[in-house]
Amino acid sequence: MNDSTIVTDSVKRFKWVGTRPIRPDGVPKVTGRAMYGADLKLPGMIYGKILRSPHAHALIKKIDTSKAAALPGVKAVVTAADLPEQKNEFIGPERVAVNFWHVTRNILAREKALYEGHAIAAVAATSASIAEEAASLIEVTYEVLPHVIDVDEAMKPDAPLLFEDMIPRGLAEPNPKPSNISKRLEFVMGDIEKGFASADVVIEKEFTTAAVHQGYIEPHACVAKMEADGQGEIWSSSQGHFQMRALTAKILGCKIGDLRVTPAEIGGGFGGKTVTYLEPVAALLSKKSGLPVRLQMTREDVFKGSGPTSGSSMWAKVGVTKDGKIVAADAIFKFQAGAFPGSPVMNACLCAYSPYDIANARAVGYDVVSNRPKSAAYRAPGSPIGHYAVESVIDMCAKAIGMDPLELRIKNVASIGVPTIAGPKHAHAGFMETLQALKAHPAYANPPTGPNQGRGVAIGYWFNGGGESSATMQVNADGTVLVATGSPDIGGSRASMAIMAAETLGVDYNLVRAIVADTGTVGYTHVTGGSRVTFATGMAVVDATKNVIKDVCKRAAMIWDVDPEGVIWEDGFAKPAGANVGDFKPLSLAEIAGKAAATGGPITASAGVNAGAQAPGFAAHFVDVEVDPETGRVDILKYVAAQDVGRAIHPSYVEGQIQGGVVQGIGWALNEEYIYNAKGLLDNAGFLDYRCPVASDIPMIDTILVEVPNPVHPYGAKGVGEANICPPMAAIANAIESAIKTRMTHLPMSPPRVLAAMDAGQK
Amino acid sequence: MTATVTFTSGFARKYTNGVREFEVEAANLRGVIREMEKLFPGLGHTLEEETNVAINGELHETGYFQPVPPGAEVFFIPRIEGG
Repeated sequence: MNDSTIVTDSVKRFKWVGTRPIRPDGVPKVTGRAMYGADLKLPGMIYGKILRSPHAHALIKKIDTSKAAALPGVKAVVTAADLPEQKNEFIGPERVAVNFWHVTRNILAREKALYEGHAIAAVAATSASIAEEAASLIEVTYEVLPHVIDVDEAMKPDAPLLFEDMIPRGLAEPNPKPSNISKRLEFVMGDIEKGFASADVVIEKEFTTAAVHQGYIEPHACVAKMEADGQGEIWSSSQGHFQMRALTAKILGCKIGDLRVTPAEIGGGFGGKTVTYLEPVAALLSKKSGLPVRLQMTREDVFKGSGPTSGSSMWAKVGVTKDGKIVAADAIFKFQAGAFPGSPVMNACLCAYSPYDIANARAVGYDVVSNRPKSAAYRAPGSPIGHYAVESVIDMCAKAIGMDPLELRIKNVASIGVPTIAGPKHAHAGFMETLQALKAHPAYANPPTGPNQGRGVAIGYWFNGGGESSATMQVNADGTVLVATGSPDIGGSRASMAIMAAETLGVDYNLVRAIVADTGTVGYTHVTGGSRVTFATGMAVVDATKNVIKDVCKRAAMIWDVDPEGVIWEDGFAKPAGANVGDFKPLSLAEIAGKAAATGGPITASAGVNAGAQAPGFAAHFVDVEVDPETGRVDILKYVAAQDVGRAIHPSYVEGQIQGGVVQGIGWALNEEYIYNAKGLLDNAGFLDYRCPVASDIPMIDTILVEVPNPVHPYGAKGVGEANICPPMAAIANAIESAIKTRMTHLPMSPPRVLAAMDAGQK
Repeated sequence: MTATVTFTSGFARKYTNGVREFEVEAANLRGVIREMEKLFPGLGHTLEEETNVAINGELHETGYFQPVPPGAEVFFIPRIEGG
């Protein structure tokens, strides 16, 4: 936590919203008693192990499990043959269309191993060591095939094909041939050619970015217990236990209602735990063995077998007038999807220009498979990658016309009513306010002046999410309150839900306890992702609280023997209203709860919402760096991050979200990358060689919380978890160019690359 | 009450013979989907399954219950998912 600046024009004052109570999950976490996915131990539980492919691309000719099955202590061995086949069709919306023919093959390979680390078979045994030995006894006969790792290489007509019959979707040409290109997307507005013709300066550049992992501290883990009657329970660390239930049921071919999934505490997800890897396999092993099974990944498994976000190859072109008006923009984004289709390239297309008012723009995207693990969502998936290219070129335009880069953004920022490249017009304010707040930061007037020092500016946009959430409230006999939601708590949602419930109910925050409930005890709730929980689940909590208020007012009327209309709820008390004013002493929640049995039984209420009209996220950053010309190392001297947060329900968590996003962006910018060797094998599957930032790498990140409330939300909340990771890569690249007059066009901008670029005199 | 329904050019090419804008009479999104289904049989299901919707710029999941104010711009866009 730091002392952030909060910029607000709100005149509305709240008792609990905007305060910083101590986090309710703090004690179990700092004392090591919190229960994560790998901590649960059930009576009779056995241990699973997954055998993974040692090859980047290979036909699976035969899997012989006989030796493994014969090993004493082994209780079950499974392969893809134990799972039902799925139809080869895309289901659902384009960006997130799921093809379960692909999903089941990612969980356990069938005809081919498509990347190093691809799950091939699994065993369960009475100890972890026996399971490991048994996995090593599984004999797989492979026919190794040529592989392809790089996205540009994968798009070539003569590239090795991962799926020999995959026809690209969205290509203009008739009868396209099978390709590693899964689909092409194009979004256009205005007249591109006319726009560029009116520009005084046109700059274009190519960029590449490496695949990076979400880097959550806790590896994937779960325990599954399946019964002979087909019912089962799963305890799992994920970003959405309802999602895990639905995916597992589909993969196993069982009914959703037969599964109950309990969320474990989660040690980070950042999008990477919205998909399933282990749960169906653990359930299958449990079904086969008749025993509870724990399955967990090693760190190496996490890197090789779970989704990083896409690496990319991009081109961006921007035209600007001498006075700083951006008149045209064009970009091509080619994203690695990993071994199966489904990169977030559409998000890059839709987000890259959305913060701007640009009349003429085009964004083309390609989703491309290659022999890498299937990409998974990572914090504003796709948007940071696209912003890196576009924000870099916009910075080059600012430098070319001699304009302050923040002024250029202020001159071109979108406002309400400006159309986006997706089509709809912007409906929310907050962008300009955020830019002005960044400009007003005291440090902005004092850029670094030392040798090899420089400043960079960049902005970022993310849609934010809404959607389905549920909440249940119970009032206990002593007036304490339980709030149960279905949103796994990743960013402090237990605290923010309790704050909103206490504020609505008018009771002390410390009387409200918020929990994350399992799939059997609260209504359907979509994943904790898309920066949706404080907004959408918060609305469900407020609705459930209002339902409780209606109920307790009726009960107070019963206690006073008056009409329900004669009671109002105010500051945590039922008070007589209308003709009854002054006739009765106000009743507290505890007093009404004490009469629950007499007034109709337990006080409980639920609410479900499909929340819409979420406002987008917008972030604006500046960073000062110093480049060591001898080593190429980039040091972050100062980092200031402003973000439109709607209203900060719990400012400390909001600051943490912003700082966390920036730190991940710094890692993405400077060090993190998947490094493959000539055989298509990952050379750095561990935190020693995959370099995430550590505390000593970075200074305290200054945060500016800009409060432009969303009028649709009862407390003005906007999603805050993702927009913050969009600007750092471009901001740092722009700062490096300011420092050493060298434009970095590949991420990460690691010391060897910076040195090489300096030596090459890259402009 | 009349609303203007708009699609992206790519979506229009695929589902509405390239026509991007339609005027429909509807009080809520259910009505909009029903009217589009009448014009292009099967399109209603596609809208429900594959799109989000912006009503006067406000993003929603494509459900039935969202009210459509008179003169509203109803813009269907590809569905988005976050991390």
